[in-house]
Order: sequence, then structure tokens, then C-alpha cells
Amino acid sequence: MKKFLAFSLILALSLTLLFAGTYKIGFFAPLTGWAAADGSSALHGAELAIQYINDSGGVNGNKLKLIYYDDAMNTAQAVSIAYKLVQQDHVLIAISGSYSSTTRAAAGIYQRLGVPMISAYAVHPQITKTGNLIFRVGTLATVEGRAGAYLAVKILGAKRIAVLTIDNDFGTSLTKGFIEEAKKLGAQIVYSTKYPLGETEFRTILNTLKQSKPDVIYATAYYAEAAHIVFQAKQLGIYVPIIGQEGYDSPKFIQLSEGGSSNDTLITTDLNRDSSKSIVQWFLKTYKEKYGIAADMVSASAFDAVQVAAAGLKSGTTPNKIREGILSIKSLKTSVTDIEHYTKSREVFRPITVQIVLAGKFHFFREITDPDVLNPER
Amino acid sequence: MEFWQNSINVLVLGSIYVLIAVGLSMIYGILRVLHIAHAGIYTLGAFLSLSIMEVTGNFWIALILSAIISGFLGALMYRYVYKFVLKEERIVPLIVSVGLFITMQDLYRIIYGPYKYPFSISIPIPYIRAGNFYISPLQMLILIITGIILIGLYFVLNKTRIGVGLKACANDSQMAAAVGVNTKLTIALAFFMGSALAAVAGTLVGVYDNSVYPTMGSTVSYKAFVVVVLGGFGSLKGSVIAGFLLAAAEVFLVAWKGFFLPRDAIGFLVMILFLIFLPNGLFGRKER
Repeated sequence: MKKFLAFSLILALSLTLLFAGTYKIGFFAPLTGWAAADGSSALHGAELAIQYINDSGGVNGNKLKLIYYDDAMNTAQAVSIAYKLVQQDHVLIAISGSYSSTTRAAAGIYQRLGVPMISAYAVHPQITKTGNLIFRVGTLATVEGRAGAYLAVKILGAKRIAVLTIDNDFGTSLTKGFIEEAKKLGAQIVYSTKYPLGETEFRTILNTLKQSKPDVIYATAYYAEAAHIVFQAKQLGIYVPIIGQEGYDSPKFIQLSEGGSSNDTLITTDLNRDSSKSIVQWFLKTYKEKYGIAADMVSASAFDAVQVAAAGLKSGTTPNKIREGILSIKSLKTSVTDIEHYTKSREVFRPITVQIVLAGKFHFFREITDPDVLNPER
Repeated sequence: MEFWQNSINVLVLGSIYVLIAVGLSMIYGILRVLHIAHAGIYTLGAFLSLSIMEVTGNFWIALILSAIISGFLGALMYRYVYKFVLKEERIVPLIVSVGLFITMQDLYRIIYGPYKYPFSISIPIPYIRAGNFYISPLQMLILIITGIILIGLYFVLNKTRIGVGLKACANDSQMAAAVGVNTKLTIALAFFMGSALAAVAGTLVGVYDNSVYPTMGSTVSYKAFVVVVLGGFGSLKGSVIAGFLLAAAEVFLVAWKGFFLPRDAIGFLVMILFLIFLPNGLFGRKER
């Protein structure tokens, strides 16, 4: 017993020495299973941010260390990871690189255990309502939906709009924001239907949609569904603009949509690939070099989640100090998604960029800066 | 017009269901094994075609080679895995099969990464369009390949010694062995043919959806069973008819009501109704 105690003491001491001058950041994402592609992108983005921060001197002279686990898109696993990260790994702050369901489940644990958590790209409104330690980097779904309506009605001048909604948290909260704002701006919703996640066959509903003669289609989707929608729409001779969101924001969307059918698609998103900011260009270039595939919105959001965590840690390492640090952010220079500041409900305030696919690449189209549209507190 | 357009969609979707389910039904007919790993072979077929296509640049070579390699792997799976557990209770091969499937999926993820790969080909088939009605070259390709395969399969099963052997084994393998059928070879052949069909289906779906990815077999792994149950376990004719019927139910329900239920749920609902009222399926025989 004595021997064991002595051994544990030495182990504990040496571990403390080893990690002196290190701030530990916890991270969870689906690295296996059906959501593994987004999970890996998120992990890559987070790792790149750690590299960027450590190479430029760390936070207050301390290096950052990312401790990550695979949640396999399983809520129970996300919860046990939360306990592990806090109680065994003693992380100062945690980042979710996962979807809404797992993030919501884990958020409750972090809040209860008193460790701040940042959701990188999970959009469900409830996540940040869990408590005062839970933040978000992605744009709140209702705000992004509103921005889509602004684009459709104010910028494109649409009067008749057809809406396709992916039937989950992501799709329904986007559509809710979109329809409310579109009606407010005077447009008419002429067709609206839901479809399940993972659907590949849209010809049937697009056939019906076509009869309603819309000026614009607002379709919430992830890149795989989106690729089918834009291709099958063009196949059926539907050439009106299709408006998407951050779910489309992956080079995979362009690759998977056949015959250049992704061209002319408009999306509201957080990542402006044509930005003149050096951090954005550094991020896009280094990501491509390091991981062999182009960066997407998920990786950019995870990159920024680490930057927000670092901004919080600059003010101190207690949960309250970290929280105050994040709330006092003023236009975060190291972010690639233009984080301006946090609102009191711990949502990001940022301009929304509209990107258009031209010749198989995302390009800058417009920036939406109307504060009434962008305000998450509205 | 909308009706005819949707009918084409039924034929295409049905063709894919049929290709997957016929192989599965063939294997079940002989071994009475619920071969979940069939969906793993389906994914393998798509990945193999994609890789071979990258090297050779020829879609037909890719499709045929992938079917042959997958066929052999299917036969090996019987020889080195199933054979040892067939004598156990029926739950044992089922668990083995689920394990195989999960292992295969993770293996693909480790080798190819978790991302979706585009798989686009250009084929010399014209785009058929008349007003609002159209058949795309890829849809035509799927219909033609399925047609050729079904006719070929009918011929093999009904007009050759191999077919007679397969039928004999499916009916009563001990009796078949007693009258001189090489049952081991016949079973391996069933696995070969079934797996080759799965690989063709995987490739066609990969091309049609323009995406190949490690978990593309997940839905297939259970949905193929819906078709097999509807058709009646072990009945090839049943699988063919059930495949098209299921596709028709899905497409026309969606056209009528939108996605009030996910398409997969529609399939399962139909399956449950069948299990209650017609447990042997359309053409199933009573289990002994």
C-alpha cells in the first residue's frame, strides 16, 4: 500500500511537471460512424488552431493541448466523455465538434460540473440556453434563416418561394427563421415540404414543387442532400435560384453535384473564402497542405472555437474568468469567420456572407450586415 | 405526365432493390443465413469499381472486375467464416454476420477515410426528353444492366446444371448431396453470384448518387431484408416483384403525401403488415 501511495505521488508529481505551462482543452466529435466526415473536419480545424496559437507563443506563455475523444454520434457516449474530460483530464474548457443532439446532451454536464463549453457548429437554439457557461461559434439557426430570407426577398427580389426542409433540428430551426422573415418582408411561401436526413431521391417532390412556379427555392440541407437537390432540380428543368446555408459549405458539395449543377447556388454562411484577411488565407492554404482536402465550414468553425477558447483563457483559467474573457471579445482578429462579439445569451454576432458557386468554386457574392437581421437576441 | 415520370423513378429504384435483394435471397435460400454482411460487399463493390476506374479509366472494366473480385470475397467469406458456424444455432451466424459487416465498414473508413467520394462517369447513352418527361443516361444504364442481369440469371437458374444444383441445394441440401450434387461448390457459387450482384448494385448506386462512402451500406443492410421478406424468404421471383412493389409504394406515397414518413419507414411498415398477415411473403414457402 505504501509503495502504491509513493508511486501514485511520484506519478502525479511528474504529470504535473510535464503539463506545467499547458492549458488543456477538451474536444469531442464523431470520428467514426455516419457522421465521421464532419467529425474529422472539426478535429482537423481544432488541431490547426492549436498549432497556430502555439506557434505564435501560446496563451499568456502557456501552450495549448487538445485532448479529444470520439463520440460516434452517440449521446450517451458524449455524456461519458464530458465526465472523463472534466474529472480525469481536468480540461479548462471543452469544445464540441459534434452535432446538436450530442452537444445538447453534453452541454448539461459541462454546465453542472462548472466547465465552459463552446459548440463549434451545432445550431440548435437550446444548446446555449443550457446555462451561462455554454457558448456557440456557429450562427444561430434562426438568424441564418432570416439572412436567407433577406437574400431571397431583398436582394434577389423573390415574391414566390418554395421551401424544402431537412427534418431535424438543423433544418426546422433554419426554416422557421426563414419563413417568418420572408413573410415579414412580403414574400409568399407557395410550397413547403419536409424530407428525411440522408434522402437521395428528390425528383418526386421536385416534380410537385415545379407546379407551384416559385421564383426561388430555399432548401435546407447538408452537402450530400444538397448535391442531389441541385442536380435533380436542373435535370427536371428547374432553373430558379436555389438558396442554401452553411450545410452546403463544403467542397464536397461541388464535387458530388454532377455535371456542374452546383453552379449558381447561393449559400448563407460564415466563411468567406475570398476574404482578404491573412488569417483566412493562411487557414485555407495550411489546411489543404496538411490534410490534403479543402477546408469547409465545419473545420473553420472548430478553428474559431479554439480561438474563442484561447481568448477566454487569456483572462484567466477559472470558469468565471474564461466566461468573462469570451464575453469581452471585440472583433476577434484570429477568427476566420469574422466573430465581432458575443451577445448576452452567448451567441455570436457577425456579418453573414453570401457565397455563390461559380465555375466549381465558392466565391463572395454579398455580405449581409443589417443589424436587425443579424441580432440573435431578437 | 407526372405519373409517367414517377413510374420511371419506380423502375430505377426498384432495379436497385432487386439487384441487392436477389443476391441476398439466393444465399438465404441455400444456407438459411441472414447475411447482413451482404451490405458490406455492396459497399466494397462500389469502392473497388471507383478504385479500378481511377486506374484504368474504363467503367465497364471496373464494373466487371469489381463484381468478380467481390464475388470471390463473398465465396471466401463462406469458406472461411460462415462454414464454421453453420452448425450452431441460427443466431450465431447472424451475430457473426453483423460483426463482419461492422468490421468491413470500419475497414473502409480506415482505408478510404470518412468522406464521400464522387463517382461520375460519362456513358454513350442519349438523354431522352419529351416535354416534362425525361430519362437520364444513368437511369437508362441502370435499367439496361438490371434487365441483362435478370435475363441472364433466369437462364442460368433454369437452363443450366448450375441452376439445377442451386435449386436442389435450396430445396434439401442433404438430399442433393446424396444424389451427387457438390453442395460445397454449389453454396460457394451462390455466394459468388450473390456477392457479384451486390457489387454491381453498389457500383450503380455509387454512380447514380455520385457518391461512394464507407457507411453507404447501412440502410441497405436492413432494407434489403424488407424486400426479401416481402418476396418470401428464398424466393428469387418474389424478390424481383417485391423490389419493384416496394419502390412503387415509396415513390407514389411520397408523390401523394410528401415525406410524411421517411421512405425507409414506409418499407418497414409494409414489412410489418406482411409479417402479420402474410408471413411467408408473396412467394415464400413454408419453413420446415
